Amino acid sequence: MANNSGLFVSVLGGAALVLGAAYGWTARDFRSQELVALTDRLSQLEASNTDLAERVEQKADLEEKISELEVSLAAALEAVEAAKSAAAAPAPAPAAPEPDTIVADASGFQFGDPSRGEEVFAQCRSCHQIGQGASDRIGPHLNGIFGRRAGAHDGFRYSDDMAMMGSDGLTWEIETLNAYLENPKALVSRTRMNFAGLKDAQDRSDILAYLRQFSASPQNIPEAAPTAQAREVDLSPEVLAIVGDTDYGEYLASECKTCHQQDGSDQGIPSIIQWPTEDFVVAMHAYKRQIRPHPVMQMMASRLSDEEIAALAAYFAQLE
Amino acid sequence: MKLNRRAFVGTGMAAASTLSAPMVHAASHGKPKVVVVGGGAGGATAARYIAKDSAGEIDVTLIEPTRTYYTCFFSNLYIGGFRDLNSIAHSYGKLASEYGINVVHDWATGVDRDAKTVALAGGGSVPYDRLILSPGIDFIEGSVPGWDISAQNAMPHAYKAGSQTELLKAQIMAMPEGGTYVMVAPPNPYRCPPGPYERISMVAHLLKANNPTAKIIIADPKEKFSKQALFEEGWQKHYTGMVERIGPDFGGGNVTVDPAAMTVNIDGEVVNADVVNVIPAQKAGLICDAAGLTEGNWAPVDGHSMVSRLDENIHILGDATNQGDMPKSGYSANSQAKVAAMAVRGALTGSRVFPAKFSNTCWSLIATDDGVKVGAAYEPNDEKIASVSSFVSQTGEDSALRKATYEESIGWYEGITTDMFG
Repeated sequence: MANNSGLFVSVLGGAALVLGAAYGWTARDFRSQELVALTDRLSQLEASNTDLAERVEQKADLEEKISELEVSLAAALEAVEAAKSAAAAPAPAPAAPEPDTIVADASGFQFGDPSRGEEVFAQCRSCHQIGQGASDRIGPHLNGIFGRRAGAHDGFRYSDDMAMMGSDGLTWEIETLNAYLENPKALVSRTRMNFAGLKDAQDRSDILAYLRQFSASPQNIPEAAPTAQAREVDLSPEVLAIVGDTDYGEYLASECKTCHQQDGSDQGIPSIIQWPTEDFVVAMHAYKRQIRPHPVMQMMASRLSDEEIAALAAYFAQLE
Repeated sequence: MKLNRRAFVGTGMAAASTLSAPMVHAASHGKPKVVVVGGGAGGATAARYIAKDSAGEIDVTLIEPTRTYYTCFFSNLYIGGFRDLNSIAHSYGKLASEYGINVVHDWATGVDRDAKTVALAGGGSVPYDRLILSPGIDFIEGSVPGWDISAQNAMPHAYKAGSQTELLKAQIMAMPEGGTYVMVAPPNPYRCPPGPYERISMVAHLLKANNPTAKIIIADPKEKFSKQALFEEGWQKHYTGMVERIGPDFGGGNVTVDPAAMTVNIDGEVVNADVVNVIPAQKAGLICDAAGLTEGNWAPVDGHSMVSRLDENIHILGDATNQGDMPKSGYSANSQAKVAAMAVRGALTGSRVFPAKFSNTCWSLIATDDGVKVGAAYEPNDEKIASVSSFVSQTGEDSALRKATYEESIGWYEGITTDMFG
């Protein structure tokens, strides 16, 4: 420490004064001896005073150092905790990625930031649920998607192409998910997932880091964010409980079918068959209230009553 | 749908039914009979919905002269090179084979409204309980002085798709370097309001690639036109300096043509042209007038059921009608067809009838991946079909949205042609 050498120099200086005073003592009278002794004493006091001041400074310095050490100790403990929880999730790679760290898997894929991935995932939520209590909606739930064979999640009706890709051996791993998210129809040409794709590589690595958290052992799936399973629009239970008149729905649906294909194929315009009725109702109300942006759909929905929306939902849900 | 062997077989069956149809009808007194004239967006849709939803309770006959139907919508995309001709060609095979519709390839020349029969050019007549007319448009003679239908090979209209569209494209491809294409645009109202201007975009796209010093002139009698700001922005962006529009202020409404000399006289100024695309003023398809169902150039209908205001047993669809606010478009005709089909079934079999709703959207392609759209929703009142809400693409939209809009139009094409032809 810099102050130590300063202190040492001061002590030497004090000692030299004492020696000098002793050397001149025999050549002087008592008064001058007394003066010398007093001067000496003063010097000693001064030296001691300086010494004390140095020590006070030193103490403050040490306290600062201690608090610095405490901070780094806390950070180290936190890192250990994070590493422990990451290690609790079985991972294909031997070392589990830390949430905030970009880690490459064996193929060189860079996992991104899962909390940013959660934000990117917001656009997926109208069709896919994830987290505790997630269930199949317009799309299958995505818990445990890593390692799952494509089109093989029990109880969900996939497009023929997706089912075929699965039986041909497509499995959802980092590389395949990355390719699918970049351009769904390039990988599975007639998938019913109507999504143009995430063109930004960072978006994909972030969202995959997020999804990855839900592919751990099932008992360790994190709680999804509170907003995850919330509806896009706030609808009263009465509106959701309306049982649609499928005959009326069939007539109303004739207007939809000018664009949306009855056989569920989609090319530029999404498939709307076999949706859970609640999702259909929520989506139409979201257009009606102009929460969803598409101008044609806003126009179509704007003049549909709650009963008419329920009728359409009931009709399209039962189409084969 | 593309032409394929199955469709060909279906058309063969339909052709066979041409001979037997009148006799079959005479023999089956019990079933109510619906005759549909015109196999386009209105007629094919109406025939299909009535046959499909009545599940054999109604006899449906569709009278359409052509065996292969080329959609007017997307025919501009063929000119621009975005579609081949085969991709806009459709046959009536499925309507005959899967829906049991008697498809009669003949011209309907007149209607005996008292006897309730439709006369065919090939002889004979077809009886009906309800008649649906969806004949599209015909041209008003003399609307462009110097032009008549006999000049359509020298100066094509290409406003009924098929051989005319092919001819126009061939003429544009054969233009000399730096040559001139002139469009004589129609006055309101006419089929497909953005159609002439989408065509200009597609002609410009074709010429930019093959003949970039060529000029495009539009002589236009209208002050304003559909999606004008969008088209003008697009022409400026993609085809700078190629397109010149002469509006009515500068004599664009005062045009004569000379098909022999290949000249266009615009307000006294003679333009030597290499291609002249004359789109004349329009009126309801001839059968409407022949049946006495028109007032002025168009056939008035009641929007609640698309029934003629002049005959309660005849419904009229699409471009031929005067119904109110809906534009003359394939989408509108398809929308109207479903209302008419429901009303006809209700009248003949007592099936449920719901309040009529209509809609329309028109997509137009300006350049590669640069699509725009305009649309509205409609409901009938006692006076007319009235617009209740509408939207239109905006200028300055980003390229991703324009591309998505174009892709949406491809989806719509698949949807509506499936809705028409099965």
